[in-house]
Amino acid sequence: MLTKSAAKAFFLGGTALCGVAFLLLTMDTLKAMPERSNQEQMSEQVVRGHHIWNKNNCMGCHTLMGEGAYYAPELTKVVERRGEVYIDDLLRDPSRYTQDGRQMVKYDIFNPDEVGEEVSAGHRADIIAFLAWVGRIDTNGFPADPDMAVDTSRQPTPVTAAVLAEAPKQMGTCFGCHSVQGGGGTVGPALDGVSSRLDRDYLIKWISDPQSVKPGTTMPNLGIKGEDMDTIIQYLETL
Amino acid sequence: MKYKTQKIAYWFFAACMLLFSLQLVYGFILGFARMGFDNLHELIPFNTARAVHTNLLVVWLLTGFMGSAYYIIPEESEREIWMPKLAWIQLISLLLVGVVAVVGYHFNHWEGRKFLEIPRELDYLVVVNVLTFLLIIFMTIWTGKRKTTTAMVLFFGLLMSALLYLPGMIDFDNVTFDSFFRWWVVHLWVEGVWELIMGAILSFLLIKLTGIDREVIEKWLYVIVGFTFLSGILGTGHHYYYTGAPRYWLMVGGVFSALEPLAFLGMAMYALSMARRGGRKNPNRIALMWTLGCAIMSFVGAGFLGFAHTLPGVNMWTHGTLVTAMHGHMAFWGAYAMIVLAMISYALPQLTGRAMHKHWMAEWGFWLSNIGMVCMTGAFGVMGVAQVYMERKAGMDFMHVQESLEVHAFGLVCAGALLTLGMVFFIKNFISYGLPVMDESAGAVTSNPVPAAPDKSL
Ligand code: HEC
Ligand code: HEC
Ligand code: HEM
Ligand code: HEM
Ligand SMILES: [Fe+2]
Repeated sequence: MLTKSAAKAFFLGGTALCGVAFLLLTMDTLKAMPERSNQEQMSEQVVRGHHIWNKNNCMGCHTLMGEGAYYAPELTKVVERRGEVYIDDLLRDPSRYTQDGRQMVKYDIFNPDEVGEEVSAGHRADIIAFLAWVGRIDTNGFPADPDMAVDTSRQPTPVTAAVLAEAPKQMGTCFGCHSVQGGGGTVGPALDGVSSRLDRDYLIKWISDPQSVKPGTTMPNLGIKGEDMDTIIQYLETL
Repeated sequence: MKYKTQKIAYWFFAACMLLFSLQLVYGFILGFARMGFDNLHELIPFNTARAVHTNLLVVWLLTGFMGSAYYIIPEESEREIWMPKLAWIQLISLLLVGVVAVVGYHFNHWEGRKFLEIPRELDYLVVVNVLTFLLIIFMTIWTGKRKTTTAMVLFFGLLMSALLYLPGMIDFDNVTFDSFFRWWVVHLWVEGVWELIMGAILSFLLIKLTGIDREVIEKWLYVIVGFTFLSGILGTGHHYYYTGAPRYWLMVGGVFSALEPLAFLGMAMYALSMARRGGRKNPNRIALMWTLGCAIMSFVGAGFLGFAHTLPGVNMWTHGTLVTAMHGHMAFWGAYAMIVLAMISYALPQLTGRAMHKHWMAEWGFWLSNIGMVCMTGAFGVMGVAQVYMERKAGMDFMHVQESLEVHAFGLVCAGALLTLGMVFFIKNFISYGLPVMDESAGAVTSNPVPAAPDKSL
């Protein structure tokens, strides 16, 4: 049975062991972080921006590197996302940007009407330089790119009028699955430049019976032969 | 109450009630802002309300820990508090510093790192204040008749909390260093040394409420705080995944923080099994409810909900979203708010000699506040998960997503109202106890066990 002194030894021993390991890792981390954060690019302007950031508790509404409050946008990549011009204009008077309800503080230090154009522009440049520098810190991939984003590039779009004017009517079904010059379906590959990839005999064999060329393919046998086939092949050769 | 200087604890607890009420008021301001009614913006912008909300929380919890220590240490050391007058000065100065800091937040005067907003000049006063407190406690233990494990763990937890406040006072130019050392305070407090304080108060309450042998209880106390540090120290790494620290923290933080729930599970199993084994029926049932409730809710809020977002693969998506707020609320409530409320529920009948713990208000206070907190956690949880999927995973615009969550903020405010109603009962009950017995002879008589309820109709 566990005795009280054994329990005490477990507590003291475990704490000492983990404490030492933690301190060693801390020392290594403190050595690595200047490089990971590009400290050599941390200009005086960046430091001033950092100071403005802390002094005004921007972290009380925003997160930066995922730390802070959850009321206003995450700002780690904001310069990349919005660009400097947008941020500069927002900071002058955020009320023009915020929707009804949620608000950002209108800071005097960024406001030309309060401290003059030159001084306020300096403060805005400081904070933008700081945010841009933060955006380059190696954060092990945070924030991750959305991985469930609706892929709009896979959405079918109408075939352009120019393409339709050129194409024979036999191509109508094909455009349900294939695109030309960006317009059309996305089930099969785009047909632009198809004749340079595939020769005439192969095209005829493929279109007349795709299953015999590639069993299991999604492209159906559309029963195209004779004159229709010639028209289609002629058209494909213009692409 | 065995020692008449213990009554200073009453005033610490009363201060807790006051600060907690104010915290809730600011909680509502935050809740309404999230619903789209940020109407107080000109006077109290969101970052002010938030800093006040969280700082008052930390200050009332610390006040509660101090009050608990002033109550527990004399009984454990079997002597009066060393220099009780100094303890009074310490209480009043602590409140003054707290109030000045909170007022300053309304004038954009702070340091702007979450949870460590107190401006530097006040930081020094906090340090002096806490050193005074530690000196009083230390001298009381040192010159006392006995040095129990419970008292030592409590003292060690309080001492380490004071020491770990210091890394938060270093200035850095590089923001990644700000972040790194902020966690020495925030994480190493709540998932380290505060757990010692919680464990010690829990032990004290279990010894008093269940009558189980001190040796058994204190042995398990060591095991539990052993697990706390074994997992919690290196578990700090779960805050170093994505803030500029090296990649190995994903491994170290992931593995060790995943073990942290064990300490909370241990705490819950220990409290429940001691309560079942305990022979002595203490008449203060409500104190036992808060004690066991604390053990269970801290496991759910800190252990279970903490684990839910601690692995690096999950945290990549949930980091800095309302999922964190969900966990933060229930963890702080379960582990620290409830242990202080448990201590208050236990100590009040002893301090005042009245048996108001039998009153229906005490029971309703317990249930309403806990149900309210569970619902709040649910509301934050729904908002958090929706935010993760819509904003982080599907790439929708932040503000657009937040707007669609406003309806859940209404749920949050309703749940907060339930919790607040519970606390109104708790505080009314607190007030109805009256002041601590001033009569020195009476103090000794009203020691354990508590007198029976004087009148049902109270
Ligand atoms: C009271 C809360 C609050 C405080 C404090 C605050 N902001 Fe904001 N901020 C907002 C809100 C809300 C928005 C969203 C505006 C919108 O697009 O609707 C915002 C937007 C921004 C944006 C644009 C983000 C984007 O993705 O479009 C930047 C940059 C920004 N704030 C910087 C700052 C800086 C720098 C500070 C500190 C000096 C600060 N904010 C303080 C609430 C706040
Ligand atoms: C139901 C959808 C569908 C229809 C309708 C369809 N295709 Fe296809 N097609 C596909 C798919 C899918 C592939 C890719 C097959 C594979 O690699 O498995 C394909 C492949 C092709 C290829 C080879 C392209 C390359 O770059 O490898 C050609 C050429 C082609 N189709 C022409 C046509 C023509 C001409 C028509 C109209 C008569 C047509 N397709 C109708 C689905 C379709
Ligand atoms: C009583 C104990 C605990 C309390 C009071 C608590 C409270 C909090 C709070 C307030 C935060 C937000 C901190 C900030 O952003 O500044 C937080 C973050 C976090 N907690 Fe806890 N916690 C506790 C225990 C745990 C445990 C045991 C785990 C893991 C098993 C855990 C995992 C996390 C993680 C991963 C985060 C970071 C969230 C993010 O990336 O945004 N916590 N906790
Ligand atoms: C009236 C009830 C309450 C409401 C409506 C409320 C609401 C809120 C809101 C909206 C936030 C800010 C989240 C954000 O950044 O957007 C917050 C933060 C916080 N609240 Fe409350 N709250 C209430 C009660 C409490 C209680 C009782 C506790 C403690 C036990 C608490 C502890 C916290 C903590 C620790 C944070 C910081 C969380 C973090 O940084 O992750 N709150 N609260
Ligand atoms: Fe943590």
